[in-house]
Amino acid sequence: MAMKHRLMEWSLDHPKRIFWLTGLLCILALAMFPRISVDTDPENMLPHEHPVRVLHEEIKHRFGLSDMVVLGIVNEQHDQGIYNARSLWKLSQLSAAALAMEGVIDDDLMSLAESDNITQGKNGEIAFNWMMRTAPVDDESAQLIAQWVERLPLLNNTLVSADQKAAAIYIPIVAKDQSYRIYQELLAAIEQLPAGDEQFHITGLPVAEDTFGVEMFKQMAVSAPAAGLLIFILMLFFFRSVPLVTAPMIVAMATVIITMGAMIGMGFPVHIMSSMIPIFLMPIAVVDSVHILSEFNDHYRPGMDKKALAAKVVNNLFQPMLFTSVTSMVGFASLNTADIPPVRVFGSFVAIGIGVAFLLSITLVPAYMSSLSDQTLASMAKRVHSDEKPNSLLARFLRLLPNFTSSFRLLIVLVATGGLLLSGLGISKININDNPMNWFEPEHPIRNADRVLNSHFAGTYEAYLSFSAPASDAENGSKLREILARSPEKIQTEFADLQLAGEDLATALFDKQMAASDEELLWWDELSLALDNAGEEQRLFLQSEYLNYLEKVQAALMANGYVGKTNGLVDLLKTVNRELHGGQAEHYRLPATAEAAAQAILTFQGSHRPGDIWHFVTPDYRSSLIWLQLKSGDNQDMSAVLESMDKWFVDNPPPKGLEINWSGLTYINVAWQDAMVSGMLQSLLSSFVIVALMMMFLFRSVIWGLIAMLPLTLTISLIYGLIGFTGKNYDMPVAVLSALTLGMSIDFAIHFIERCRALMKEYGNWQETLQAMFEEPGRAISRNAIVIALGFTPLLLAPLVPYQTVGLFLASIMAISCISSLLLLPSVISFARKILFKSSEQSA
Amino acid sequence: MKNIFTTLILITLCALVSINASAQSSASELSVKDIVQQSNLATVYAGNDGRAQARMLIVDKQGRKQMRQFTILRRNIEKGGDQQFLLVFSRPSDVAKTSFLVEKHPGKDDDRWLYLPGLDLLKRIAAGDKRTSFVGSTFFYEDISGRDINADNYQLIAQDEKQWLLKATPKDSASVEFAYYQVSIDKQTMLPIKAEYFDSGNEMYRRLSVRKTAMVQGLPTVTEMKAENLRDGSFTINQMRGIEYDVGLPQNIFSERSLRMPPKKWLKGR
Repeated sequence: MAMKHRLMEWSLDHPKRIFWLTGLLCILALAMFPRISVDTDPENMLPHEHPVRVLHEEIKHRFGLSDMVVLGIVNEQHDQGIYNARSLWKLSQLSAAALAMEGVIDDDLMSLAESDNITQGKNGEIAFNWMMRTAPVDDESAQLIAQWVERLPLLNNTLVSADQKAAAIYIPIVAKDQSYRIYQELLAAIEQLPAGDEQFHITGLPVAEDTFGVEMFKQMAVSAPAAGLLIFILMLFFFRSVPLVTAPMIVAMATVIITMGAMIGMGFPVHIMSSMIPIFLMPIAVVDSVHILSEFNDHYRPGMDKKALAAKVVNNLFQPMLFTSVTSMVGFASLNTADIPPVRVFGSFVAIGIGVAFLLSITLVPAYMSSLSDQTLASMAKRVHSDEKPNSLLARFLRLLPNFTSSFRLLIVLVATGGLLLSGLGISKININDNPMNWFEPEHPIRNADRVLNSHFAGTYEAYLSFSAPASDAENGSKLREILARSPEKIQTEFADLQLAGEDLATALFDKQMAASDEELLWWDELSLALDNAGEEQRLFLQSEYLNYLEKVQAALMANGYVGKTNGLVDLLKTVNRELHGGQAEHYRLPATAEAAAQAILTFQGSHRPGDIWHFVTPDYRSSLIWLQLKSGDNQDMSAVLESMDKWFVDNPPPKGLEINWSGLTYINVAWQDAMVSGMLQSLLSSFVIVALMMMFLFRSVIWGLIAMLPLTLTISLIYGLIGFTGKNYDMPVAVLSALTLGMSIDFAIHFIERCRALMKEYGNWQETLQAMFEEPGRAISRNAIVIALGFTPLLLAPLVPYQTVGLFLASIMAISCISSLLLLPSVISFARKILFKSSEQSA
Repeated sequence: MKNIFTTLILITLCALVSINASAQSSASELSVKDIVQQSNLATVYAGNDGRAQARMLIVDKQGRKQMRQFTILRRNIEKGGDQQFLLVFSRPSDVAKTSFLVEKHPGKDDDRWLYLPGLDLLKRIAAGDKRTSFVGSTFFYEDISGRDINADNYQLIAQDEKQWLLKATPKDSASVEFAYYQVSIDKQTMLPIKAEYFDSGNEMYRRLSVRKTAMVQGLPTVTEMKAENLRDGSFTINQMRGIEYDVGLPQNIFSERSLRMPPKKWLKGR
């Protein structure tokens, strides 16, 4: 405690230095701001080295997959839907515009204008022709394209909707963080087109995620200051003095600036989570100073030694403030137990911010108060006392509560218990779900595009199901040895070197073949051929057994009702097989043998887009991928797909040695959500236990400690019970709010109990203590609750849903925990006062 | 022995002198049309017929390698005019004996057939677009068979001691994916050394380059070529070995029958 006194005395003696020091820190922190980097990629909710992400990246690379921006063109007016010359001309214009954009992977762009048509020529030939290299000249030829597309399962309902009213361009991009720019460029390209019946929509998870980041910034610039302003006005209403209210505002601003500066300066990117740090810190930072102000105000009389009063007030409040701060810090720091980097950064820096706010509150605030002129303080005290002490609405209302809590204590406890039970029911109904698309308001263009396109198409959300066998180990030892035995020594040594080098032997032999002299080539050719022959049975996804299995998997995927469409190697092979056999529907089936499959693929590779096949199978045919189009990006829908397939795989295990892997953005979102839910639950439980132990330590009593936990237990239960009942999804912002609830609602309990025990010591009887509790302490608690709850209502106006959620929940948390502290605590204490105040009441 | 040497040297010298002479005359006198025509003859029509063992190493953007091996037989019906091709695959083993037959008619649609032994299927391939991939490689069908020299307008844009640089602009831009290409032609051999393809944004996205040439039976011959997709970094190397000219290939082996029953006698080199 010596430290504490010295710190406070020093700051009271040297107010200027405190101001300068704070100012300097703020300037230093502000200097860090230009180094800001933003990260709105929800993928980063998982650490880079998380197995799910590593696999996702590996599969993307293996099959040459990219994240996609989806541009949709809808024509509801024309008789032929999208298949009219005008609409298709626009489509080809936009397709060309997209190809010209930086950051677009040209060769993988999918649109009618870049698609190949596999069909029958005039004399029964197999023909590969561009579907529409140039836009059709009239509606009749446009209608022809409709007939072609209908025959191509990989295009139908992917590039053109089944109802033929919409066409899509899938624009692969090199990196997700380019999608907002590409989105803007596409909008500009659309702008240039002549007006018509078409509507244009742009969607896709990358666009949603990147756009969110851009709007998040605007939000930060509007919401946080708006909240600050409202808090200022509310405090002004309670304290009626600008100079007085300036103190907590300075604390809040300085806290936010220093914390954000430290975070940015240390190189942490601003993530969706950390963008909310200012919003979380502001109310917490204000709370302590409001307590100091309240108490200072209530005790100040003109002519008093303001320095001594400031010291006394801070001294009185030091213990509860320290504990409220430390418990809040524990609550937020507990987020570190979750293995989600952005959540850790968020938790850590909110905790640091709370520490900063506490230090500023016990140094800067008293220094500021005591450096105000006597005149200012006098006029302030006069206004406050004349007006609030006896008669303010809040004061009068609070004075009703002592009697109410005494008379209805049983009822209050019963209602609380009932609420708790009911909440349990609600919690059991909680719907765990998230979808970055839903972070936008329903009317947002991106969300609208998502709705429109998914109503026409099989789905714009992608997930990938892949099957893979370990690398081929076919060496056909005996045949190779036989060849080597009769080969020259030079070949033998070089072959031994190749084996030692440990690279893929088949590939190494290709290089030897290409580089060999004519004499040596004979040997290398023979060796390579032996390996090639041996490898035939290793090329799994040419074999009927494996292809038939893929076909079954695709059927099972469609059967579960959540998948709009699947695309895979099987569809491609069947199509080529049909066209090779004259185009009749009866030939739409898999080639019978591995050779037939390999030769069908070779034929397909004579098309304009031979590389497309490598999105579905690897060149060694040991790994194959099915592309799922989902109509919904909701995690629970993806989870339902996973669950049903898990069951299916149990009954229908893949051919031996095949590994099953999921990937794709929609799947990644499920993975991080799982980490989030379990991580948050874990951190909530662990911080609950730690805070409970701290309470027992603070009050040096197990029973007091447990009582202190009551309001927050009730608050958390009610909040989550309410979420369960209203059917609101338990998503990212909701998950994080549990930490906030814990940190904030314990504050009221600490202040209440601490003051209650002190007053009990002073008065020695419960009735008077109760009356006194609802004077200054009750007002401080209520003011805090009101200031914070109302201060964050600007968030409700935000166009981004997570901010709205936070605003709504902050208000509810404040209201519930304030009410439960003020009603439940006195009722319970009154029941248990015999045990709780043994010494005090006896001595009285 | 000494005699043979002297004779060889003499022949070589004569050859060099004559080539030099033609090169010199060409530099001053050859019109763009002549250059293109002579280059076309040297590249695609060498000898009356020819045979080669081709190896294609296809390297995708992920760096994975695949190998295709095939024998190619070619017969000129008319120099600079119609030609016949027969391609028979030997590797990878699951496409072995797959074969292509082509009757090339410059200026008109080619006739193409395909035989797939695994499906026992003989199928015509539709004429029309020749700028489709050649068996999944970075080469186009047209890069192998030779692009019709009358399809483009040529323009000499630069030259030095060794090469001409021509710019070729398609007469029918709707039928091709490029806006124009630039081809360098070696003045001595008349072989194209490099072709660079540009899109409408003036960006080079594709390149063909000759990596090795050799004199085969006195004829300058490309033995190794590379086709690159500059957008994604994938490429294919086509290597020709065992090249022979004037083998005496009979017309009747360029038939549907040969597709089903490859003429072994003519496929194997000497």
